[in-house]
Amino acid sequence: MNIGIIGAGQAACTLIAELVRGQFAGKILVFNGESHRPYQRPPLSKTWLHNPTDTESIRLLPEPIETHASIEWIHDKVVSIEPDQGVITTNNARRTVDHIVLATGTRAKTLAIDGLPADQVHVIRTLSDAIHLHEALDAAHNIVIIGAGFLAFELASSLDHPERTIRVLAKGVRALPQISVKAADRLLEETPASIRVGVTIERYDQDSASLITNHGPVPADLVIVAIGARPNTELASACGLGTSEGIPTDALMQTTHPRVSAIGEVSLHTQPHLNKVMRIESISEANDSASTLAKRLLGAPEPFKATPWFWSDQGQLKLQIAGLAARNDDETCLINTQTERVVIRHNSDHVTAIEAVNAAKEFMAARRLFEQGPISRQALLQAGSVFSLLQSSRS
Amino acid sequence: MPQLTCIDPNEQAIEVAFEPGETILQATYRAGVDGILAECGGGCSCATCHVMLTSDWDGTLDAASPQEADMLSFAVDPTPQSRLACQVQLNEQHDGLTLTVAKRQY
Ligand SMILES: Cc1cc2nc3c(=O)[nH]c(=O)nc-3n(C[C@H](O)[C@H](O)[C@H](O)COP(=O)(O)OP(=O)(O)OC[C@H]3O[C@@H](n4cnc5c(N)ncnc54)[C@H](O)[C@@H]3O)c2cc1C
Ligand code: FES
Repeated sequence: MNIGIIGAGQAACTLIAELVRGQFAGKILVFNGESHRPYQRPPLSKTWLHNPTDTESIRLLPEPIETHASIEWIHDKVVSIEPDQGVITTNNARRTVDHIVLATGTRAKTLAIDGLPADQVHVIRTLSDAIHLHEALDAAHNIVIIGAGFLAFELASSLDHPERTIRVLAKGVRALPQISVKAADRLLEETPASIRVGVTIERYDQDSASLITNHGPVPADLVIVAIGARPNTELASACGLGTSEGIPTDALMQTTHPRVSAIGEVSLHTQPHLNKVMRIESISEANDSASTLAKRLLGAPEPFKATPWFWSDQGQLKLQIAGLAARNDDETCLINTQTERVVIRHNSDHVTAIEAVNAAKEFMAARRLFEQGPISRQALLQAGSVFSLLQSSRS
Repeated sequence: MPQLTCIDPNEQAIEVAFEPGETILQATYRAGVDGILAECGGGCSCATCHVMLTSDWDGTLDAASPQEADMLSFAVDPTPQSRLACQVQLNEQHDGLTLTVAKRQY
């Protein structure tokens, strides 16, 4: 069986690595729509951004896998697929495979701001974006980051410099709405950025080099838009396999067409952890969905059952999250010391996530506990720490 | 280029060239040493880059950070010689040394 993988990001590369290690018998065609060889995305917004010419250190595939004889790399964007025939078309080629894998990921949402020249607006999704941003930094003294998620604050820490003022402007009522107030507060204590919430941007004024907002003018010679991402579903939607929300799949990463699968953050499937159909943007989702598909293609299918996890570096602070909470889930602080903060997210007694700031042991213990089954908030509070609860569950 | 000897989980010895300044993970991953998964790509968040250093490394490295030590306590069968490959930066002193990749990463 020959397969064609569209996209060469995290999910595609995990699938490739597992197929090669599992001695997959067929040929693997990979369509890489970017101009760089596969690389890791998380470093792009972290300390790596200080020197984005070092592309070797963020390489995603080991040499023997990248150059494995079963793989053919096609450096081209796919423009259409024909599931019934297994045809994949680029502007330069038309190839036929037995199975198509959509691993197209997402792209950064953009924002049109009246009066702002395109060369002053940046997003950060690809290696090219990071290089482009880095090149513009010398001339930038007033940086505005629009958006208040992980990416915005990772960038604020990475771009911190005595000659730069960094301002984060958010539309919503608070920064880092994805996590609890208590965990967010800890991370925000150390951000070099000044933060304004409830901001709407009206236009850009060239003469004063400022964004005109409902809170007045904000000086900006460089603007980074970090307001989230949108799934790349066009190829799938053109043949009825995708929606604007993502590409629906079953627990084996199979779309509604038997010849097409979808993996990574473009895939929309039931997350057993929350028993909810959703799309998750994280490395864990990319890896776990790719592993699920690899097992199926290698003839030993096992339904997707992973619990999501996530991390984010904000300067010297490390946030690690096991599980996944809905935005309105409750929060209870479990540990709060000089260095560590651990917050339980829950829905009455049912724990949905553990958010750990500089508390790696608690994070790992939470991952292990979630693997064993549901976690009770009451049991956690009684044990005093996630680690203690894990130990008592094992004794 | 300086080199390390890596013993992979199949007990194969593999010579891995490295640039001073890169991490064990960067060097071994590029070379494709078996058994290092590095799910988080060096983010110190997965503990699937577990390696064991020989005593020849003693005195050439700073102790593991609290974060690394915490992650290591969740690796499979950690020993006092265990480290996370993504957290150890290599220098000229490490030329010719040996490490063993953990048999299982989870
Ligand atoms: C700056 C940044 C920092 C991040 N930090 C973290 C973090 O700390 N922790 C974490 O868990 N997650 C983090 N993430 C999220 C994580 O990187 C993604 O969830 C993960 O990369 C998703 O993998 P994927 O393979 O689904 O998509 P991607 O990695 O986006 O890969 C998709 C690829 O498909 C290509 N493609 C799309 N359409 C076509 C086409 N028609 N033809 C050919 N190729 C095509 C795209 O160009 C892209 O290269 C971060 C993301 C970014 C951008
Ligand atoms: S690569 Fe994940 S902890 Fe080292």
